[in-house]
Amino acid sequence: MKRRSVIIAPAILAATFWGGMAMAQDKVLRFATWDSDESLAIEEAIARKFEEANPGVKVQVEAYGDGYDEKLTAAMGAGSPPDVMYMWNFPAYKDSLMPMDDMIAKDAEAMNLADIPAGLMNISKIEGKTYGMPAGFTTQVVFYNKDMFAAAGAPEPAAGWTWDDLRAAAVKFRNKDTKTYGFAVDAKPDPYDFEQFLWSNGTKYISDDGKTVDGYMNSPEAVEVLTMFAEMIKNEEAVALNIGDDTSGSTLFKGGKIAMFQSAMWSKSGIDESGVNYGVVVLPQFGVKPVHSAIGASAVSIAKDAAEPELAWEFVKFFSSPEAVSMRKNDLPVRTSVAEAQGMTNDPVFKPFFDMLATSNKEIHAFLKNAEWGRIQENLAKAIEATMIDQGNAKAHLDEAVAASARFLQ
Amino acid sequence: MANSPAHRRPSRRKARGAGIVPWLFISPWILGFLFFTLGPLMFSFIMSLYDWPVVGARTFVGLDNYTTMLRYDPQFWDSLWITVKFAALFVPLNIILSFGLAVLLNLNLRGTAIFRTAFYLPSVISGVALVTIWSWLYSKEYGLLNYMLSFAGIEGPNWLGDTGWAIFAITIASLWGLGGSMLIFLAGLQSVPKELYEAARISGVPPWAQVIHITLPMLSPMLLFTFITSIISAFQQLTIALLLTKGGPVGSTYFFAMYIYDNAFKFHDMGYAAAMSWVMFLIILVLSMLVMRWSTAWVYYEGEVKKEGGHG
Repeated sequence: MKRRSVIIAPAILAATFWGGMAMAQDKVLRFATWDSDESLAIEEAIARKFEEANPGVKVQVEAYGDGYDEKLTAAMGAGSPPDVMYMWNFPAYKDSLMPMDDMIAKDAEAMNLADIPAGLMNISKIEGKTYGMPAGFTTQVVFYNKDMFAAAGAPEPAAGWTWDDLRAAAVKFRNKDTKTYGFAVDAKPDPYDFEQFLWSNGTKYISDDGKTVDGYMNSPEAVEVLTMFAEMIKNEEAVALNIGDDTSGSTLFKGGKIAMFQSAMWSKSGIDESGVNYGVVVLPQFGVKPVHSAIGASAVSIAKDAAEPELAWEFVKFFSSPEAVSMRKNDLPVRTSVAEAQGMTNDPVFKPFFDMLATSNKEIHAFLKNAEWGRIQENLAKAIEATMIDQGNAKAHLDEAVAASARFLQ
Repeated sequence: MANSPAHRRPSRRKARGAGIVPWLFISPWILGFLFFTLGPLMFSFIMSLYDWPVVGARTFVGLDNYTTMLRYDPQFWDSLWITVKFAALFVPLNIILSFGLAVLLNLNLRGTAIFRTAFYLPSVISGVALVTIWSWLYSKEYGLLNYMLSFAGIEGPNWLGDTGWAIFAITIASLWGLGGSMLIFLAGLQSVPKELYEAARISGVPPWAQVIHITLPMLSPMLLFTFITSIISAFQQLTIALLLTKGGPVGSTYFFAMYIYDNAFKFHDMGYAAAMSWVMFLIILVLSMLVMRWSTAWVYYEGEVKKEGGHG
């Protein structure tokens, strides 16, 4: 026993010593991300680039994966947040994040905000303060199977098309024997993305002051949107997703079971791999009303209690530099200059994403307007799902959602 | 053994005076209990009296979380009702089926060992794998279950997509893990003295009456145990619902435990989640106490001397 401790004690001492040496040498910057696989590899590559440019700095990439929010809240609760982190839910975390406006102003030239579309900057702004820099984004589009359109003798969709056009085309693909449909309607859509249809039809979930849902969420325009999707399911113009079955729309599209699929950048690489001959088109519009898209953006933020605030800012600056932005292949570049340099704005596959962005700067996502949105959204999600299951009754379900949300709006 | 009671008594007295030493021996358990059981328990109670967001300031709100829950939150009552419904389905079925299986396995027919393994197997499969298997079985279009039903000319329901069926789907999937209680019953059955059955047989008691008058009373302690643990697990049902239906469709399987989970990790309302956990704890406690009290009327312990008038 005694002899063993004689051996162990110096070992511990030595370990402490060497550990201390390493720390004295390297400044460690902790960077947390929710990404995995390819996207994570890209972020690690960006981090390595940053290390090259800043000798003596080590970026520790912490990939929290699916449990991102749980792990991040735990780290914050324990008082040791990562210095820099991926962020989207600004209202929930803003108290723990560092406003960046002063730093952006100081480095205005390097940041060159004119190069970043305003719609992307708006996402990380609360009450006029900027809490994050956008790193990558996606808008929503419709992927369509060119071979299926050719076989059905249907004209391919083009910008400016309407939901009536989509429905008229969708009917042509329905085949009971091969279980083929024209389109897919998700009964459990992410309410965040789904609001784009309300915007496109001239309404929104909640008033801009974040205090009223009655007359918005259950407005005739909202009812019209839900009713339309329910009818598409009923008339078999579209297959219903997520009603007791978790076969995804992208699986069906990749397998040639649906001719049109509404999704975003995150589906693209999978569809590329499947070998489907596809085209991309902007979302359909409601009649002549202008079409809007939800903007899914990931931003990087700095923790208010960051151990290395200056270094953290340097990292964020690098992360949104043209050099780093052009390294990101799994989402779209937030800098117009990078998109143009890579020829994306003229590429038929990428152009619709940017076209959607151009018309989608005007609306603010509901979660930025009300701190209790997360709870209100549960009621809304139930109303959407119930409407799709009933294949109707949109008004009643939305009224119910509005009534159930009243207690969160006081 | 050499240690007669006469020998042990003085040494025990010595131990009592030995101060800290015995405590040190059990200290790993005591520390574990204090830090990992009692500590968090008390902490969660304190938490339940606060508005406790994960990030940001905590404010003391007294019993506000409890009054909100009881008076203003319809989801609390909905989730509680769903959980009670599930318990009412799951608990009796779990007991009846695992008891029935145990009786069958105790007949010592050929292949018993294979069946015993087969029935117990689901209990050792991880919950996530179990749910994945069931989600395949339940699929409306491609599921095995509806395919089998189609042979009988029945058009199967949309098990997981129908607000009426989903809770049954979850009950069935949960019952699949009854191997544990089956094993308890089986062990109990094998310890019932054979003489009782022999005597009954000689007296001409039919087999069904043997089950009712010998097996059931002799197994009543195991029944009680299974009863209480089934109630607890029914109230804590989370994994299967979370993974199989995510509380849907339209909230029809949004169990109490899932609502607690969402309050804590989705809405970041730790205080409210802690308060709900305490309510769940109290409900389970009261139910268990009622069952325990009621059990004195029907549970028979061998070697127990009943007071006058009390018999099994």
